[in-house]
Amino acid sequence: MELFERITRTSPDSPGDTDAPQGASGSTGGARPAEQNGWDNADDSAIIRIDHLSKVFASKTKTVIAVNDVSFEVKRGEIFGLLGANGAGKSTLIRILTTLLSPTSGQAFVNNYDITEDPEKIREIIGVCAQNYTSDSELTAYDNLEFYGKLENVPDSILPDRIWELLKMAGLADRAYMPVGTFSGGMKRKLEIVRAFIHRPLILFLDEPTIGLDPEARREVWQQIMMLNREHTTIILTTHYMDEAEKLCGRIAFVERGKLIALDTLENLRKLIPAGDLIEIGIDHMDAPVEENLRSVPLVNAVSVVEHKVTISATNGSQAIPSILAIFDKFQIPISSLSIRSPSLEDIFIYLTGKGLDNGNGEGNDTPGPGRRR
Amino acid sequence: MRGPLAIFKRDFKKFLSNPFIIMMTLFMPIMYLIVFGSAMGGTISHIPVGVVQEVPPYNDTPLFTSAAYQLNHISQGSENNAEKQLDVIIYADEAQAKQDLENGKISAVIVFPSSVSNDNAVRLYVDSSDSITPPLVEEAVTQVMLGLGAKNPIIVDKIYGDITYLQFFGVGVIMMAIFTSTMFGGGIALIKDRENGIHEGYLVTPVKRSSIVMGIISSGTVRAFIAGFTIFWIDLLITGIALQSFQDFLLVLLVILIACMGVTSLVVSFASRFSSQQEYSSVIAFFNLMLFMTSGAFYPVIGMPGWLRWITVINPEYYGIHALRSIILRNQGLNVIGIDLIALLIFSSVMIILGIVTFRRTLE
Repeated sequence: MELFERITRTSPDSPGDTDAPQGASGSTGGARPAEQNGWDNADDSAIIRIDHLSKVFASKTKTVIAVNDVSFEVKRGEIFGLLGANGAGKSTLIRILTTLLSPTSGQAFVNNYDITEDPEKIREIIGVCAQNYTSDSELTAYDNLEFYGKLENVPDSILPDRIWELLKMAGLADRAYMPVGTFSGGMKRKLEIVRAFIHRPLILFLDEPTIGLDPEARREVWQQIMMLNREHTTIILTTHYMDEAEKLCGRIAFVERGKLIALDTLENLRKLIPAGDLIEIGIDHMDAPVEENLRSVPLVNAVSVVEHKVTISATNGSQAIPSILAIFDKFQIPISSLSIRSPSLEDIFIYLTGKGLDNGNGEGNDTPGPGRRR
Repeated sequence: MRGPLAIFKRDFKKFLSNPFIIMMTLFMPIMYLIVFGSAMGGTISHIPVGVVQEVPPYNDTPLFTSAAYQLNHISQGSENNAEKQLDVIIYADEAQAKQDLENGKISAVIVFPSSVSNDNAVRLYVDSSDSITPPLVEEAVTQVMLGLGAKNPIIVDKIYGDITYLQFFGVGVIMMAIFTSTMFGGGIALIKDRENGIHEGYLVTPVKRSSIVMGIISSGTVRAFIAGFTIFWIDLLITGIALQSFQDFLLVLLVILIACMGVTSLVVSFASRFSSQQEYSSVIAFFNLMLFMTSGAFYPVIGMPGWLRWITVINPEYYGIHALRSIILRNQGLNVIGIDLIALLIFSSVMIILGIVTFRRTLE
């Protein structure tokens, strides 16, 4: 009982080292929609501090640097997004922070406990939803939750109520006594997520929580995450879905091949792209002179052509459109579609890394993006 | 042909990528040859037998002196370095010799009559719970009497009645049931959890390494106990042995329980170092062979070569089988099996500690 109380109620103050590596500050979150309250919850003390952390996996044939000299902080009460392509090192970072792996070098502190010296203390205050399924598929949903409740020291007096609460939250109450092996992927994942916070942890690690979920289930998971955050749970989320990070995260860290390449609020990250709006034009074919002409339009900052799509970044896009259309007209190139939007996280990611999230896997593409920074 | 070739290639790649398994597949038959061959085919030597001179008279007769001397010098084969077949211990008191036979210190007692005559029989008491040594002792005595030209008849008294090989071997099967259930229960379950990522789920909870190991060992012990207990009943039914008393029954339960603990903790402490079912299975199959062969389940330990008997000393199955045979076949009590129980308990404690210390708390 005592332990449980301590986990849920106390939030010891850590020494206030508030400088985030990329110079973000709380005031920049003001423009965010009201529902994205992860940022509003955050006070400025760091709950996780990572200091020059590296992890090298060495085998006979190959040495892989999964995490390469990463330093950052996670503030108490925020929803922190860790973004990157598959194999970027997100899961390794999470495994180090959750004491499953030990770092090769560097230090990390979770709620002021050193991950290598006090792993037991850290395990008491964290909840983890791993990327792969870790529930026992031969046991029922109820049994799985009961098992973890006991391992997490949830008192027996409140455990059954808590289990039913979580099952209802996950929409699995009617399947409580069915083996998890019979569940669909989405149901398993939801069970996995609610299981991670059965003991109301101080910090919740979610590694790709919505992978493989249908849109409706994803929204439900997002609701749960936001609700938990309102209860002052600090959440560290890894994802490669940009919309998810945009919707949930107060601050976002981009990880690319084990390195931290940017960390800031979405608003501030947007400012990294010099040209505000993106104009996408669908075409049949493209001529080199057209590209030259487009670049000469005053408001246009950059032009790129991929197969049948021209992407133009332009300051104040709507004003640039007439002159752009005129050029296509002049060279008699028919336009099949046209759209204009502000840059998404994905655009920022592409801008920073020079490649998209879906095709980049840390191999092959060696050319850094135009604005690659450390 | 592309399909079969593709599957062939895939299987072969997987085969070659795991040198450990290749090694074990070659290693196993060789070990079978050596261990099985030595454990089963060994010639039995150094059988401890007690010899006593019937009283009166109270001094050793010529028959007794020369018979005892010759029994002690029977060797197997003709080579110079041949092993002695019997180790003769001379007793002054018949009751004391019989006491030692009952407690399993010696395998037979030979009581010589005062004189060479057709009327006075040589009395031979043998430990019939072991179906292999008594005929050897009997043969040796017959041979010696013949050599001395003494025509005394030999009366053989099987002190535990007629015990068949099936009954002898049946007790060993109880131990085997315990080992196999543990192998598949505790050990494989642990590795399956690791393989399926269930470990990753609960290693991030505050549960202690010792709690995980103790939990697995206790559940494994109970499962093994159920298996051992069931096989015990089946064994009684098939071989037709009847227990002598309720106390014997309780002792059997105690031995099975402690043996389960010993074997389960061995398997679990072993399994906690493995991450692949395949590797674990090949190693544990090897262990199963070594432990069962050297346990004395098939063949008396006395017939094994010296190097193999060293394995017996650290083999929990040996102590388990010895204790079970003592109770079930010989109606012996704690005074005989106490040493087995102590050995099993020491073994279990060492294995539990080893299991806790070596259990990997991280994923590396």
